[in-house]
Amino acid sequence: MQNSRHFVIVGILVILVAVLVNMGLDAAQLFPVKASIQAVPIDWMFDLQIKAISFFFALIMVPMVYSLVVFRRKPGETGEGAHFEGHTGLEITWTTIPLILVIGLGYLGAGNLAEVRAVDPQAMDVTVVGFQWGWRFDYPQGFSSNKLYLPVNKQVNLTLQSLDVIHSFWVPEFRVKQDLVPGETNYLRITPILIGEYKVRCAEICGASHAYMESPVIVVSQADYDAWLSEQVAAAQAAEAAAAGKPDSKRGAKLYEEKGCKACHSLDGAAGVGPTWKGLFGSNVELADGATVTADEAFLVESIKEPGATVVKGYPANAMPALGLKDTEIADLIEFIKTLK
Amino acid sequence: MSSNEHSHSNSLFQGIVTFVVLAFLTAVEFFIAITNASLLLLTTVAFIKAGIVVYYYMHIYKLFEDEDEHAHDHNSFAWKLATNRLGLWLFIVSDAFLFGGLLVARFNLLGLTRPHLDQVLGLGVTAALLLSSFFMNRAETLMAQGDRKGFVTSAAITLLLGLGFFLGVVFVEWPNAAHEGLTASGSAAGAVFYMMTGMHAFHVLTGLIFLGIIIRNALRGHYSAEQHWAVEAATVYWHFVDVVWIFFYPALYLIGRLGG
Amino acid sequence: MKNSSSRGFITSLLFLVGGLVAGLLLGVILHALTTGKFSANYFTDVPSWMLGFLVGALAFFYGLLGYNGVVRGLVWQVVGTLSGAAFVTLVRWILDTVGGGEYTLFDLRNYGLSEPAWVFGGLVGALSFMAGVGAVGDWFKWAKGDETHDHHPEEPTWRTYFGVSLDHKVIGIQYTMTSLLMLSVGGLFALIFRTELALRLKPDGPSMDIISLNLYNSLMSLHGMVMIVSILLGIAGVINYLVPLLIGAKDMAFPRMNAFSYWVTIPAAVLLLGSLGFGGFDTGWTGYPPLATRAPLGMQMFYLGVWVAGWSSILGALNLITTVLRMRAKGMTAFKMPIFVWASLATSLISLTATQMIGLAFQLSMFQRLFGMPFFDVAKGGNPILFQHLFWFYSHPVVYVFVLPGLGVISELLPVFVRKPLFGYKWVAMSSIGIALVGFLVWAHHMFTSGMNEYLRVPFMYATLLVAVPTGVKFFSWVATLWQGKITREMPTPFLFLLGGIVVFLLGGLTGPPNATVATDLHLHDTYFIVGHFHDTMFGGYIFPFFAALYYWFPKATGKRLNETLGKWHFWLMTPSFLILTLGMMRIGLLGMRRRIADFDPTLGFDAWHVILTISAFGIALAVLIFFFNIYKTLKSSEKATGNIWDSRSPEWQVPSPMPAYNYEKEFEVVGEPYDYGLPGSTYVKM
Ligand code: HEA
Ligand code: HEA
Ligand code: HEC
Ligand code: CUA
Ligand SMILES: [Cu+2]
Repeated sequence: MQNSRHFVIVGILVILVAVLVNMGLDAAQLFPVKASIQAVPIDWMFDLQIKAISFFFALIMVPMVYSLVVFRRKPGETGEGAHFEGHTGLEITWTTIPLILVIGLGYLGAGNLAEVRAVDPQAMDVTVVGFQWGWRFDYPQGFSSNKLYLPVNKQVNLTLQSLDVIHSFWVPEFRVKQDLVPGETNYLRITPILIGEYKVRCAEICGASHAYMESPVIVVSQADYDAWLSEQVAAAQAAEAAAAGKPDSKRGAKLYEEKGCKACHSLDGAAGVGPTWKGLFGSNVELADGATVTADEAFLVESIKEPGATVVKGYPANAMPALGLKDTEIADLIEFIKTLK
Repeated sequence: MSSNEHSHSNSLFQGIVTFVVLAFLTAVEFFIAITNASLLLLTTVAFIKAGIVVYYYMHIYKLFEDEDEHAHDHNSFAWKLATNRLGLWLFIVSDAFLFGGLLVARFNLLGLTRPHLDQVLGLGVTAALLLSSFFMNRAETLMAQGDRKGFVTSAAITLLLGLGFFLGVVFVEWPNAAHEGLTASGSAAGAVFYMMTGMHAFHVLTGLIFLGIIIRNALRGHYSAEQHWAVEAATVYWHFVDVVWIFFYPALYLIGRLGG
Repeated sequence: MKNSSSRGFITSLLFLVGGLVAGLLLGVILHALTTGKFSANYFTDVPSWMLGFLVGALAFFYGLLGYNGVVRGLVWQVVGTLSGAAFVTLVRWILDTVGGGEYTLFDLRNYGLSEPAWVFGGLVGALSFMAGVGAVGDWFKWAKGDETHDHHPEEPTWRTYFGVSLDHKVIGIQYTMTSLLMLSVGGLFALIFRTELALRLKPDGPSMDIISLNLYNSLMSLHGMVMIVSILLGIAGVINYLVPLLIGAKDMAFPRMNAFSYWVTIPAAVLLLGSLGFGGFDTGWTGYPPLATRAPLGMQMFYLGVWVAGWSSILGALNLITTVLRMRAKGMTAFKMPIFVWASLATSLISLTATQMIGLAFQLSMFQRLFGMPFFDVAKGGNPILFQHLFWFYSHPVVYVFVLPGLGVISELLPVFVRKPLFGYKWVAMSSIGIALVGFLVWAHHMFTSGMNEYLRVPFMYATLLVAVPTGVKFFSWVATLWQGKITREMPTPFLFLLGGIVVFLLGGLTGPPNATVATDLHLHDTYFIVGHFHDTMFGGYIFPFFAALYYWFPKATGKRLNETLGKWHFWLMTPSFLILTLGMMRIGLLGMRRRIADFDPTLGFDAWHVILTISAFGIALAVLIFFFNIYKTLKSSEKATGNIWDSRSPEWQVPSPMPAYNYEKEFEVVGEPYDYGLPGSTYVKM
């Protein structure tokens, strides 16, 4: 009799506390704005998780606190508690119910993940290159930017590459993140749904300035995006036209940093993954097959365009990526290499 | 003493049979490697070989032997022996995870390709290790029969064979591989090869030191038929290192196709 | 040990100061010598101070003990390190000279400070420590074929604790004190970098105010690993002290190995902290390559320190399993063992096996740095993800190493204060084993965003969620144990810590499933939400129960009971501070606070939050200081507590405190169930 009264009170309290905790958490504005389609199922899943947390929190805390209050010895009271060693039925219940819940959660989680990864065949492509400590976004239209512009309501398939160590692409408002692993290519699909300015924040520690590895991500309307795009393309073409025929070592120096040559080639003669560029131009280069060639323009162009064609002695073949540089860029780079005496 | 003699020849017979079976299985492995290099078959044979060593050479069943009336006297030799055995086996379990990890690394990095290695050398060092196991088993058996001299002879042969293995790996196989272009810093295949053989050789080296110690102590009159835990420990450890090679040998030399 | 060599505490403190100054000066001089110029900065830079601390600590212990025990160990370690480094230098010089090289021996920068020299030196130093302190002497005797004496337990004096002892109780206390020391060091690191986060002296833009980026990263990374080592030591301490008492054994199965396991953690700790003096490292406690390949030399000292400490875990686990399997008292069948013994067993199964994997992962990465072996270098066919798999194959299960003993303490002590049997003993025992086993199958949940095989993420999600089931069994059983008990009215401090542990671990546990479902983890990974999650699990699952255990068994070890008032202050200051700390972490994490950042974007608006978090951190530190003061005060006081003060059924309380050196005079026999509170006339053991 006594016992069932306890159970009823605790039962009511559990429900009450669970509801209150859940309401509190809902009201607390736990997340940044939802700015991508992918965020929708993820936030749905969060919502479910928060409900489960509220419930189980109450389920454990309420009877615990209740016992501490009600079953605490009164002043002067002695004696031992009820000799009650266990109850197999109960044990089986509280093993199987969580088991079922957990399997259900796994099932929902798998479906949820599939939703997040849904592929739009119409998606546009942008290559994201991470390095210590910055981001570069290569657009298929042939130019690079340090800001990620995206049109709203269009899926973008990000190709993620790193030049040095592991980084991680994360825009909190988009919810999803994915690591950039050097030497490998990962992908991440995002469909922005809210116009605004966000930041991509590197989420994997990558050395001293990891904290500062952030770049703007700007979601604009399709019209604005198109305008920006043609502006960039025009600027890039103008630059290329200006560059045509007169390679410039300054631009080359910038490319050396931006395109990631820096990761493997030093300028001061220090050993690296690849041979140093110091004094390279015009020098005699010994190749892996035993031949010796002079590092003239033609050789350098070939080395950059088809790194596997001639392999420098003492260095692994296949190490250097074919980076798909434009002819003018290669010319700039070679101009730069020429200055390194 | 006829019963003793009986068990004497019996154990010799068992040792020889075990050795012959292991040698035969190694030949089978080689044959599989030449014909189809099937991962499944090679793994199966390796497990069979390992099982044989664990049972017949390492006497795993002794772990589960019933204890006599001294079971609760924690100062008795019998109790200490059984406790030490358990400790040693737990150490082996732990160490096995290290080698398991190396195998995982090897398959993760190289998949079903294998580095270019000198097959004759590989077979040679494997044979040396196998033979050393036979003599180690002889040594232990002789000690258990109270034949200290026989023990020393067999243990010394084991030590020489083990030394041969160790020197073979470090001073013949390694330079050989490096000469063929497989260097530690050149490729992941090289790194894996040197790490696996190196860690194994390191264990062989510690085993050799252990052997040296028990031979020396036996020469000074230690150990008896009843009490020779150090000998048993060295034996079990030595065979464990052998079991590791039973897996490493196919993993490095036999499995899959040649990598570039 | 001769008594005459001791110089008293105050003199020793003077030694400490003198040593500190001397070490600092030495650091400055060395620095000037190796760089060939002098700068006032050398007085404030980290390496000089590290040397100062080392020499200071040495001088302090020398003053206290003379040239003995740990002092000799440390001296040998220093000498060993330098000899090892010199040896490598010499060999390289000879090789180079033979090969017609260009360097001379005395050019320190080319050889003396090279990485291989220091790494080899570090290893030799650690081994030298073991020889110097005297933890391996008996083994050498055995190898030489000499007999050694079986040890006879003696009543320890305070000096016993600074040298090699084979008594499990002494070793247990040594472990525990070292653990508290490491907790303070790791906590101090946290206080320093938290202060940096709270300060924003330059309102917009980057604002590093008291420490540099590199120092932040090094302190943060070391905080993680030092705390983890502290936990492993604390667990070993409680297990070592208790398990033989609980099962009625005279000692652990292998007392010498036990001493070895303890002492090897000291050189490991020196190496670990020494990494600060070698430029630190900036990878977090996870040490992922390829970043680790580019980090300063401190990285190698970190790897080496953890590698050495790993042997302590492995051998300790081996010892414990053997002890439990072989040395139980008469009548103590599997399901009559105290529940803490089950927990220790489950923990040890993990330590014994999985520890090899972190050792291997770190070793491979060390070799990649030392010899250029490209295990994790994609350009040469390596794979950085492989490191993560090996690392987490240990480092996930190890989180259950942290909590299983803690949860064991909760299950062990609740019945004492509730005066009621542990609800569902067998289920609780089996849930420990269940957690340990399932814990081996979930490691990749730390790698959901790493770019590992996509399709593997779903099975790992299922496996991870599965751990909630046995953990739930524990929670439900605790609640059912509390239900209708006769709960002690006084609410003594250990009981409070048990309850605090349950609450905090519940919060930590319940924030696990959102990390486990892949899609939500894509948001949570590497944010302060995770930081909040794991501080809750580790505090609730380990720190709180650890303090409960200290308060509870302190009288057993010393015959004196810790002051209750101070204890309550400790609890009521620590718990709310801690809840604010972690809940605050989770909140900013969800909103976009990344972890492992030395400085944060002011536009996020987290400034106030970080100030609150830092204040809470200082609250926790103050609570810990109160605890230290309590220990000091209690040891000074003359009040005795020698009886069964908690009215427990457990065997160790059936004999007077402090525990006699020989444990139980006669072996006891188990005649009942361990937790039959409320069953009139029943006892657990017959003395
Ligand atoms: C003591 C330590 C400890 C413990 C016990 C746990 C327990 C759990 N952890 Fe945690 N974890 C860490 C320490 C710990 N963790 C650390 C240190 C990290 C970060 C490492 C780093 O990157 O530096 C981490 C990170 C971490 C991650 C990776 C996050 C990321 O980096 O992206 C994940 C993902 O799945 C995870 C999940 C879980 C789960 C599901 C549990 C479960 O075991 C929890 C189970 C318990 C409960 C669920 C509560 C009680 C159960 C009930 C009341 C029953 C009913 C409940 C349900 C049906 C839901 N943890
Ligand atoms: C048991 C483990 C444990 C414990 C107890 C703690 C305790 C604390 N932790 Fe830690 N923490 C980790 C394990 C732990 N941590 C791990 C594994 C990481 C991950 C690291 C990584 O990302 O690589 C981490 C990371 C971590 C971060 C994230 C850093 C980042 O990502 O940039 C933060 C930030 O606030 C933090 C804060 C704190 C605080 C304020 C405490 C406080 O509770 C500390 C309170 C203080 C004390 C307990 C000391 C008290 C004593 C004294 C003050 C006396 C000192 C005097 C002398 C020495 C003479 N911790
Ligand atoms: C991941 C490492 C890596 C990156 C990034 C890289 N290289 Fe290389 N590079 C190499 C290696 C290794 C070699 C030598 C082997 C070979 O010739 O293929 C090499 C060779 C060369 C050569 C031949 C020159 C010589 O020393 O004989 C040129 C020119 C060159 N790289 C240009 C570039 C440029 C331009 C970039 C950037 C746009 C770049 N590399 C980026 C690794 C790299
Ligand atoms: Cu890039 Cu962190
Ligand atoms: Cu985990």
